[in-house]
Amino acid sequence: IADLIGKVKSIVITGQCIGGTTASLSALFLLCHLLSLSVYPPMSVLCITFGSPLVGNEALHRSIRRQRWGENFCHVVSKHDIMPRLLLAEIVNHIPHIQALLQFWHCCMASPHLPVAGLSSQVSNDLKHILFHSVLKDLELLTQADDPSESLFWPFGSYVFCCQEGAICVENVASIMKMMHLMMATASPNQSIEDHLKYGDYVAKVSRQFLQARNFEEGIPDSSYEAGVALALQSSDLTDKESVAAMAKECLQMAQHSDKPNLNAANLAIKLSKIVPYRAEIEWYKACCDEADDQMGYYDSFKLTGASRREGRVNIDRIRLAQFWNTVIQMLESNKLPHDFDRRGKWVNASHFYKLLVEPLDIADYYRTGMHRERGHYIEHGRERRYEVFDKWWREKSVPEEENKRSKFASLTQDSCFWAKVEEAKEWLDNVRSERDAMKQQQLWHKIDNFEAYARQLIYNKEVSKDVLAKNSSFSRWMEEWKEMKSQVQQITPLFPGFVDGK
Amino acid sequence: VEKAIKEKKKIVFTGHSSGGAIAILTTVWFLEHYLKPGKTLMSPLCVTFGSPLVGDFIFNHALIRENWSNFFLHFVMRYDIVPRILLASLSTVGQELDLILKLLSQKAMFPIQGSVREASTFYTSVMRNASAVASHAACRLMGNTNPILETVASFIELSPYRPCGTFVFLPGHGKLVVVKNADAILQLLFYSAQLCSENQLNAVAERSLNDHLGYPSELQGCLNWQNVVQLDHLEGLPLSSSGAAAGNIATNIALDDLGLSTRARLCLRAAGEHEKQKLSNQQRMDNKRQEIELGLAKLEEYKSKSALCKVGYYDAFRISKYEDDFKANVTRLELTGIWDEIIEMLNRYELPEPFESRKDWIELATKYRRIVEPLDIANYYRHAKNEDTGSYMYKGRPRRYKYTQRWREHGLRMPVGSSAESCFWAEVEELLLLYRTADPGAFEVIRERTINLERKLDEWIRSNQISNDVFLKGSTFTKWWITLPIQHKSVSPIQGQINSEI
Repeated sequence: IADLIGKVKSIVITGQCIGGTTASLSALFLLCHLLSLSVYPPMSVLCITFGSPLVGNEALHRSIRRQRWGENFCHVVSKHDIMPRLLLAEIVNHIPHIQALLQFWHCCMASPHLPVAGLSSQVSNDLKHILFHSVLKDLELLTQADDPSESLFWPFGSYVFCCQEGAICVENVASIMKMMHLMMATASPNQSIEDHLKYGDYVAKVSRQFLQARNFEEGIPDSSYEAGVALALQSSDLTDKESVAAMAKECLQMAQHSDKPNLNAANLAIKLSKIVPYRAEIEWYKACCDEADDQMGYYDSFKLTGASRREGRVNIDRIRLAQFWNTVIQMLESNKLPHDFDRRGKWVNASHFYKLLVEPLDIADYYRTGMHRERGHYIEHGRERRYEVFDKWWREKSVPEEENKRSKFASLTQDSCFWAKVEEAKEWLDNVRSERDAMKQQQLWHKIDNFEAYARQLIYNKEVSKDVLAKNSSFSRWMEEWKEMKSQVQQITPLFPGFVDGK
Repeated sequence: VEKAIKEKKKIVFTGHSSGGAIAILTTVWFLEHYLKPGKTLMSPLCVTFGSPLVGDFIFNHALIRENWSNFFLHFVMRYDIVPRILLASLSTVGQELDLILKLLSQKAMFPIQGSVREASTFYTSVMRNASAVASHAACRLMGNTNPILETVASFIELSPYRPCGTFVFLPGHGKLVVVKNADAILQLLFYSAQLCSENQLNAVAERSLNDHLGYPSELQGCLNWQNVVQLDHLEGLPLSSSGAAAGNIATNIALDDLGLSTRARLCLRAAGEHEKQKLSNQQRMDNKRQEIELGLAKLEEYKSKSALCKVGYYDAFRISKYEDDFKANVTRLELTGIWDEIIEMLNRYELPEPFESRKDWIELATKYRRIVEPLDIANYYRHAKNEDTGSYMYKGRPRRYKYTQRWREHGLRMPVGSSAESCFWAEVEELLLLYRTADPGAFEVIRERTINLERKLDEWIRSNQISNDVFLKGSTFTKWWITLPIQHKSVSPIQGQINSEI
């Protein structure tokens, strides 16, 4: 597979029974590999399995979901086939039975010209009976429980349940488990074992169904929604037994109440434009602070003044914006938004602008309320997750822009954590005076030097906003203190020989 | 054609089979060449019989947008295979295609010895492809969110061809079923040609070829146009022949005549719902017009206030010192939100096709662009975004301005890029950056562009597309213009206007 990368546009990986699990794992390997290589153009991967047992647990399901790889997997399960359902049951005591079954299937597939019924006698009726009823019972218990996490194994990707009448495709985990149960409940032990061998038949049949117009036998409900459900029931051949049909109907209705990613994205766009005035107010606040007489810049103004009416409004804006962006991240991670959402320019740019403008205020709030004494410094202990996500989105922007030389200071400091670094540097500076241990003191000097070099670099490239250099800003005052300390040290150099050469 | 136009005759372009395709393209050529806005001309008619599909969904979208869709009428016999052929890819039907085309061109009726097998294979292949195209389209219409749908779709070659214009299906016995909704026509092309039972295959395959040659005899029986059914209000179609709320008996009969299954009817309903949704989206946008007008009025006021201070609103906003500037910014951002929503909807084809050619929207959009784009430009250069991203015109210009400019240019048949009056300031800013130095040779670099700009500015001022606050004493433009070499200024078309302001 690794050889094919770069040579092939798309790949379909397939397998039946245990071959299905091999296919699934190979596909997962390939997807991970492609991710680390960031191949362009991206290679399309589709994994189709037939009668494959389950492969992973809930954690695997969630990881696959988060990477949005569920869309690459299609598991075909015939109506009564016992194999895909095995791992949903307690089978620890039935291992020898299962081995006999696997051998039987292998025999059948190796000699397709022999009628299955003939070979069927190789497997004892008792065995079939025991296994079948044991699995069925466990399935029933599982689906009756309120949440499916009782099971060790979880399905991922989409499931296509096929039968003589047609096929239905389900993605929702609870619905998949429920359908596994309901369809098996209408079977006999023999059927559940023979169905494993019928994939060829079912696929052939379903592949020809497009040709014929099929009408609905009994009365069809007039509501489009109900009619859709009824057609799905017809395709899954669950219309006979009343009780089963009713449960299946409920199950399908549950499956349909999934989210509409495009609609959600559209609504988010509307919400974004509604919160824009809050952002504008914060921009205005910054501009006012830049022109104000106290020459503090908006970081310090916000940090020190805190409760005044103006800052109060800015604070509310800040909180509202945070709520909005947290919602965006939460929706993205619970798969409620389109796949390429975090690659869309609109959202990458908007989140980046928000971060550069507002994170300094979050930092100011953190240090003003003394959180750093409780929890530790902002960058390691206080930073909200959304900012890390936005860093990632920005880094992954596809177009690397040319490095233009700036002619004047940026309107926003390009490192949104700059002020947090200033706060840490302030602490180092305070500590370096009182530090007794020479080793630790040297480390502190080193850190302070590095920070100064970093800050100078930013300033030189004009990647800071002018509020950083305001006369009374935390940074400016820190620089002054630092300069003074360095000059003091130079006066008593003999005691600190290591620090002579302009360090 | 020119002769017919001179004699003020109504022109009808018509054709059968591939002749139909030529007729469609000819009609479009005619419309583009001769139908100019403002000129009175008899609208043409295009009537085809068993024509293959000609364009994709964008072609159809454009025809509806220009209001030309009603000039196209396509007759399709129920099982005629030719209109369906292009829903299949060449690789899947290539083998039989040559033979089938040869048989059709012989114009003999079937059965022809030894061709039943090919006909059946051909019919099955075309239908398989048509099924994929139709069901993919139906899944989209019904808002299917299963992510595997797009994965599978990317692995299959789905034909991009789509129907356009009005289709008239001929189920037989002199009946006619008229459909305008393009999504519905696509579904009908597939579903009306389905079999009732598997053993019908050979008979229907034969019929799929015979029907292509059956137009003359079938239409003879329809000449009195007694049995016409218009399929509209698709969202409320009955789902079964014994449809309880059988409001329209004629519709019911038409659906039965076309042999439409329950699934087919659900797809038609979805097509109807989609159209209804587009109209409702349009209504929602129409309701926002007032909000847009209010916002624009506020900015007009801001503009006149700034003019009184001899600075002009472009520069006032660029400096942004006062609360008025902040308020203007909020209004600007609110209007941005509304227009961005419109643009998003257009990109997802969620507004009716004629929206972009509606005169009232073009006018409102032009007004918006002229008042607000200067503020966007001022904001861009104020924050030196050109240093982050690039020049406004090449990298920074939002789609809401690009699109609305195209609306106007297309509507008035202006050359592309000519309605650029709203980005006047962007050019000024770029010229300003290039002309930093006061060397004698500096002007040469920008001479060409400056001359062009002045010429266009003169036109725009005269036609009231730009107001003369650009010439105010404190405006960036004036302050820059004054520094230009005297030889250039003395022959400039705008020197009179500037001198009167200073």
